[in-house]
Amino acid sequence: MLKSIYILILILFFASCQNPKPNDQQKVETDNPPVIKLGGSKQQSFGLEKLSDYALFQGELAKLNPANGVVPYDLNSPLFSDYAFKARFVKIPEGKTATYHSTEVLEFPVGTVLIKNFYYPTDFNRPKGTRTILETRLLIHEENGWKALPYVWNEEQTEAYLEITGDTKSISWRDTEGNQQQLMYNVPNVNQCRSCHLLGDKIKPIGPSARQLNKDYNYEAHKELNQLVHWQETGMLENLPSGELPKMVSFQNKNAPLAERARAYLEINCGHCHRPEGPAKNSALNLMVSEENPAAWGVEKTPIAAGKGSGGLKYDIVPGHPEQSILVFRMESTDPGIMMPELGRKMVDKEGLELVKEWIASMK
Amino acid sequence: MKKLFFILLILNFAGCTSNEEVADRSQVNWQSIEKDLQSALILAEEGDTINIPGGYFKFEKSLLMDDKQNVVIAGAGMDETILSFKNQNEGAEGLKISQCKNITLVDFTVEDAAGDNIKVSDTDGITFRRLRAQWTGEVSETNGAYALYPVLCKNVLIEECIAIGSSDAGIYVGQSDSVIIRNNEAYRNVAGIESENSNFVEVYGNKAINNTGGILIFDLPGLTQYGEHIKVYDNLIQENNHRNFAPAGNIVGVVPPGTGLMILATRNVEVFNNQIIDNRTVGAAIVSYELVAAISEEEAVEADETQAGSAERINSDYELDENYNPHVGNIYFHDNNFQNSKWFATFQHDFGKLFNFKSPFNPPDIVFDGFMEAERSPAEILCIQEKQKLVFINLDAPNDLEDLNENIAPFVCD
Repeated sequence: MLKSIYILILILFFASCQNPKPNDQQKVETDNPPVIKLGGSKQQSFGLEKLSDYALFQGELAKLNPANGVVPYDLNSPLFSDYAFKARFVKIPEGKTATYHSTEVLEFPVGTVLIKNFYYPTDFNRPKGTRTILETRLLIHEENGWKALPYVWNEEQTEAYLEITGDTKSISWRDTEGNQQQLMYNVPNVNQCRSCHLLGDKIKPIGPSARQLNKDYNYEAHKELNQLVHWQETGMLENLPSGELPKMVSFQNKNAPLAERARAYLEINCGHCHRPEGPAKNSALNLMVSEENPAAWGVEKTPIAAGKGSGGLKYDIVPGHPEQSILVFRMESTDPGIMMPELGRKMVDKEGLELVKEWIASMK
Repeated sequence: MKKLFFILLILNFAGCTSNEEVADRSQVNWQSIEKDLQSALILAEEGDTINIPGGYFKFEKSLLMDDKQNVVIAGAGMDETILSFKNQNEGAEGLKISQCKNITLVDFTVEDAAGDNIKVSDTDGITFRRLRAQWTGEVSETNGAYALYPVLCKNVLIEECIAIGSSDAGIYVGQSDSVIIRNNEAYRNVAGIESENSNFVEVYGNKAINNTGGILIFDLPGLTQYGEHIKVYDNLIQENNHRNFAPAGNIVGVVPPGTGLMILATRNVEVFNNQIIDNRTVGAAIVSYELVAAISEEEAVEADETQAGSAERINSDYELDENYNPHVGNIYFHDNNFQNSKWFATFQHDFGKLFNFKSPFNPPDIVFDGFMEAERSPAEILCIQEKQKLVFINLDAPNDLEDLNENIAPFVCD
């Protein structure tokens, strides 16, 4: 009897255990990975192979000289992307126009391409000096909606190639204080692109609202002109109302009211998800400037599914106490399980963080 | 001979990973299929099955799938195909699926994600089958929140899965409709299984063992939807006596260690034929959001006496939501088996201490906080139809516990 139990246990022991192979260290093998079986479609069905295939720029590609009909633009309060500089362009098909909207992103016609180039100057004090372009993101408005495509630049800076799975690039620069900085920069995959650009169940641009575009731009041929006025005059934009146009402050403008600057910063960095139609609607936090209820933009609001993202704190914003505010805790973190935004940064935006802290400290 | 037998027995327990054991990954050969698998998730077309082979695979970034229909992601078995996010440096989730239709996830393990192991949002038709989702090593506040996490979904099926080590809930369904959670196992999570603001949910045939709270049915204010119509039956809810390791600020932080089942501010909940055993503090707690608000208020005051006004904060939190009903109602308990061989409720929680004082050596089977809507009879709010004699406590929380009593009679119904 005892013997049979003994054998049974022995069998159980060997049957129920997987004996993992011994290994000296926790290394990840990359040779000969097993093949994942998938359907027959190819990356090419997503977009053109090379950035140059779109003929958006003329001459040497890395100079980013826009081709005819491709217009540079700028935003009042841009999104933080690990201190990357951005060169933005829009191409609206000839004979078509974008339509004005007072709060949301402009309605762009089918055929529009929004182009965002991410680069790092070697020396941030010489922003027009030598630079490395890491990626170019295209948002293309097709008949059935927008699509987002990441193009990764080669080392030679002669071409960028579609990489639907994104990439990781090592980049270094000298910051404005003269310190050498280094970063493993992440180029998003197409699903990461979607996860920020989703509004409802559709991909939408995030930046170019009238409020964001309402600023002067230094066009070479025309000197300083308001972007919205210029777009209207050149036939790119219609239905622009007369009189004063809504404007988002630049969060960097220290002469603007503190609360407006902080709310602008939160809208562009967080509002694309944290709004009633956005992917983070389940959190019930709305960080759009248009939200008027302080509880909805975080004041004394308890977290819903933050997990350790709460940092042991009870409220998103505790007036007068940035150190007790979850918002600040998550902006300060670079732990992927805690940090906000979840995507698009690996560094802390020190200036943005200071702004939000100052704002919360000033609240009563 | 006897000695050898004994040694083998020890070996048997030490060397193996049974369902609830902590997985040991120290001797594993990790491989990378990150780019291939992410490509497959991006390129998948309607009707595709993405087969992930057996092996131990490590990932640095979240795996994302978006905007797909009728796709199956299949591993070779939960003990064969292991996807680890231990060294994740980007994205909070392990696997994240959003805006899809009819997706099936089957036969693999996802572990050690920075945030949630598998999160599925805005998806109609999602099946989790024979998945293991866990945090390896000792449980900790730094573990991710949810092991399996469908949110804002419709038509959810979670079956034969195992969830371990979540610092919030192992199997968590939030703001979703038409949900079946069956034949799963949840160990060492703060909440084993939780339904929150979800409608038409059936939770049956599950084992919730050694969590802080076994099964939680919650309805919270201010979210995209409220939830009700829940059935909880045929479950084994046992020894949920784990310490509460939820990071502060999270609602499950209020759950006392030793809670079998907790129903919070939800109406139309039927609980039957469950084995509710050896949950040391309370078999089933039925409470309103007002009680939770009061507890949070007390904590806030204790934490910071100088911070005047914090008491009103969480109160105003739910009072701002005019459509929210903070009370329970139409709760129906029948044919369950309550057993408790524990002598003491937890001493780590005020309610545990209270139960030890009021019902010494005999922790309660059912506790009701006593918050009742005015026009309704007690039995309309909570109807108890159990064959056995229960240890029952009515906290009389609305009157600061003044008339705390063990009178079950008003709640017994035919």
